[in-house]
Amino acid sequence: MKKLALSLLLMTATLPAMEVVAMPGQSPLIQFRFVFRAGSVNDPKGKPGAAAFTAAMLSNSGTKTQTYQQLLDAFYPMASGFGDQVDKEMIVFSGTTHVDNLEIYYGLVRDMLLAPGWREDDLKRVRDDQKNALRLALRENNDEELGKEVLYNVLFKGHPYEHYALGTLTAIESMSMADLQAFYKAHLTQANLTIGVAGKYPAGFVERLEKDFSVLPAGKPSTVKLAPATQPTETHVTIVQKKTRAVAYSFGFVTGVTRNHPDFAALLVANTWFGPHRSSGGNLYQRMREIRGLNYGDYSYIEYFPRGMYQFEPDPNLFRRSQIFQVWIRPVEPPTAHFALRLGLFELERLIDKGIPEADFETTRDFLALNVNLLMKTKSAELGYLIDSKAYGISEYTAYIQAALKKLTYEDVQKAIRKHLRKDRLQIVAISDNAEELKKQLLSDAPSPMKYNSPKAGDILEEDKIVSTKKLGWKPSQITIVPVEDVFK
Amino acid sequence: MHRFLVAFSLATLSMLTAAEPRKIFDYPYQQHDFPNGLRLVTVPTDYPNIVALYVVVNVGSRNEVEAGKSGFAHFFEHVMFRGTKKNPPQKRDATMKAAGAATNAFTSSDLTAYHATFSKQGLASILELEADRFQNLDYSESVFRTEALAVNGEYNKNSASPTSRLSEKIQDTAFDVHTYKHTTMGFLADIKVMPDQYAYSKQFFDRFYRPEYTTILVVGDVQPDAVKALVEKHWGGWKRGSYTAAVPVEPPQKGERKGTVEWPVATPPWLAVSYKTPAYTDTEKDSAALDIISALGFGPASPAYQRLVLQEQKVDMIGGDADSQVDPGLFTVYSRVKKEQDVDAIRESVISTLNGFKDTLVEKTRLDAVKNNLRYRFALSMNNSESIARALASAIALRRTPETLNRLYALYDQITPEDLREVARKYFVADGRTVVTLSGPKAK
Repeated sequence: MKKLALSLLLMTATLPAMEVVAMPGQSPLIQFRFVFRAGSVNDPKGKPGAAAFTAAMLSNSGTKTQTYQQLLDAFYPMASGFGDQVDKEMIVFSGTTHVDNLEIYYGLVRDMLLAPGWREDDLKRVRDDQKNALRLALRENNDEELGKEVLYNVLFKGHPYEHYALGTLTAIESMSMADLQAFYKAHLTQANLTIGVAGKYPAGFVERLEKDFSVLPAGKPSTVKLAPATQPTETHVTIVQKKTRAVAYSFGFVTGVTRNHPDFAALLVANTWFGPHRSSGGNLYQRMREIRGLNYGDYSYIEYFPRGMYQFEPDPNLFRRSQIFQVWIRPVEPPTAHFALRLGLFELERLIDKGIPEADFETTRDFLALNVNLLMKTKSAELGYLIDSKAYGISEYTAYIQAALKKLTYEDVQKAIRKHLRKDRLQIVAISDNAEELKKQLLSDAPSPMKYNSPKAGDILEEDKIVSTKKLGWKPSQITIVPVEDVFK
Repeated sequence: MHRFLVAFSLATLSMLTAAEPRKIFDYPYQQHDFPNGLRLVTVPTDYPNIVALYVVVNVGSRNEVEAGKSGFAHFFEHVMFRGTKKNPPQKRDATMKAAGAATNAFTSSDLTAYHATFSKQGLASILELEADRFQNLDYSESVFRTEALAVNGEYNKNSASPTSRLSEKIQDTAFDVHTYKHTTMGFLADIKVMPDQYAYSKQFFDRFYRPEYTTILVVGDVQPDAVKALVEKHWGGWKRGSYTAAVPVEPPQKGERKGTVEWPVATPPWLAVSYKTPAYTDTEKDSAALDIISALGFGPASPAYQRLVLQEQKVDMIGGDADSQVDPGLFTVYSRVKKEQDVDAIRESVISTLNGFKDTLVEKTRLDAVKNNLRYRFALSMNNSESIARALASAIALRRTPETLNRLYALYDQITPEDLREVARKYFVADGRTVVTLSGPKAK
């Protein structure tokens, strides 16, 4: 049903440069996505965070004709707004309005993108916001997201993907209005733009979008050349020292698998068996939380999924040409930190050695074929996925993944696990208060027996013996302690 | 700007000013009460294939009246995933997977909600599965003790956020005897001893997991009669209980209260200014007026926001929040202040902004902008079956019917500047105020 409806409704109007993805429909809610194929990879040398700062400046400041205060006043009665999301290779501005208010809403967001005001008082405020987003929202108040972003940072060392999209505090502090204007001029161009619109918009609206946005510079695609990330020669542990109650971990490695890779569906099945996001059905979750009560949850990922602690479905328009496999162990009590890491590594090794159980293959595959519909439960998400599919050069995602799953065999999954996952040369990031103690424990390779508050089955106790004495064999040079103040400095 | 809004849209105008305002929740729904006290609300929507099922139990941290048992409603939400004899966790997972379901649960002060969103083919099997666990939950002490550790892990992961600690402190300071004194997570000391409460957990299930406390919400691509037949079949035999928690009544607060939280790492200070407010009401104007004041006072189009955030740039976040709860709660203004030395001035600014509502009548255009915002915000959130179900679950926690939303929004429409002044005079009194600040280590 869905496939048919989409192919009938989808009109793609191609201009020389810009593209419009239009999904006309009966909903009175009009969704917009303005997606630019540029991002933090285009941050000029010495100015990490330029893309994110520029986007924040556009979506949180006044236009040539109206102050930000006037914009907020205008958005308010419509209960609408306009937000941005900046990642390595995409900058997206999105918002929703009721069709009642389309005319005024569109006028506002169009001016925000096409006629920014570049006022100094806006710059001052947005600069504070950017610094606080990095320093507080990430570094100081969210140990889990911090661990994940530090993991990307170390995995992509020396690569255009290395720095976090928000940049560094020093760079944000020194960014000038001219820097933002230069980024805007160079990258927010027709060549990079795809406009997505959905809902019951009037006839002629798509043409109007095309005409209005043709005032942007034509530009050239901002896509940069990406060499494969340098793979580490041995496992490395980064312990971020921070005053906090518990110990959070993220670990993984760069894979060559993105959504358009022939093994993507196979790896998706493997990952959905092993560590599906915020689901109690995954193997990691079962072994670490359900059986042993180590923490609140344990998951794994094959695509970037920021803000996972707040949401169940990933946001679209986080297109990347290089993805990682990642395990996320939510905060554990410090006395169990050594054991928890050993267990996480043990489970990864078991996945690689044994693959997924054959009996679980069909149920996992069939689950994914249905569950993909939930990813598209809003029109905004559907639009976002369509734009991503174009970026990946694949067909509409629901149909694409369902077709790939249909062809998949158990052996394909087992092969993909062996081919793309590994148990050595990992980057491991821990967030911990007592970093020296954790380092000492990890280097000692001493047994880390578990004590439970209730009887456990014999097989679990036997497994614990193996896990708690598992040799990691790490040398002091493989463990680095970084004070949190030095992260994204 | 408001001028344009009206000029461009007759529909907007009618939304606002028609003599009989359109119902905010205008989906035709069916509400049915079974003899055992169970209520079913079915809402067919035009979003294809997908069904959102919410089983809402009217129990939350509010019901935790016994000493040492704070956080138990939330803990029990976890225990509910430990299966039954007929459907142990693996089998449950298989049934959910077969429908492509995403499933989880959440607890607040007034409700515990279990939800699943799935392909419509799964409706019968999932309704049967859920009926089984609500009636025949079965878990060993060992499993129970392990689950208590996961709750401790949840506390740990929340504890990295200063706002979690701030909320804890506000509730603890503002309330003396009512159970709103603790947050839904519970006091840490109580969380630590949860593993030892196996016997109590059985009693908890026996008391609250009963049809008279429960409402089943089914939203999406469904036929109400078919849903009713399925619910009758699987849930009809559930036995009614008899327990009611005697929730203590909070005596009137006499005098301003203050609290401070010392945060271990550097942070700009947080400031919370709270006032005692009434229980949620959809018949009197108080709740509706307080919601409107929170927006008028501190929303992005408010003078205070524009002065403090945009012009002076002394705070980077500010917002008002009026509790909608079964029992009297709090109206709180939160702000994050950029510099420690500005905290006192911001506190005075918040207090004087609220005092301003006692003396000065709000301009009608500003009031209309807020009313528009409330209606459009609701309309914009109704963009899929799951979010419709979620909005209804909150309404169910308060009045067990979607109709309370229509009554509340009708009250919003009726609010006059004089109503706002009256409500401000009634509740923004110094004796009912609690001020909590959270700050990092003092600079050396």
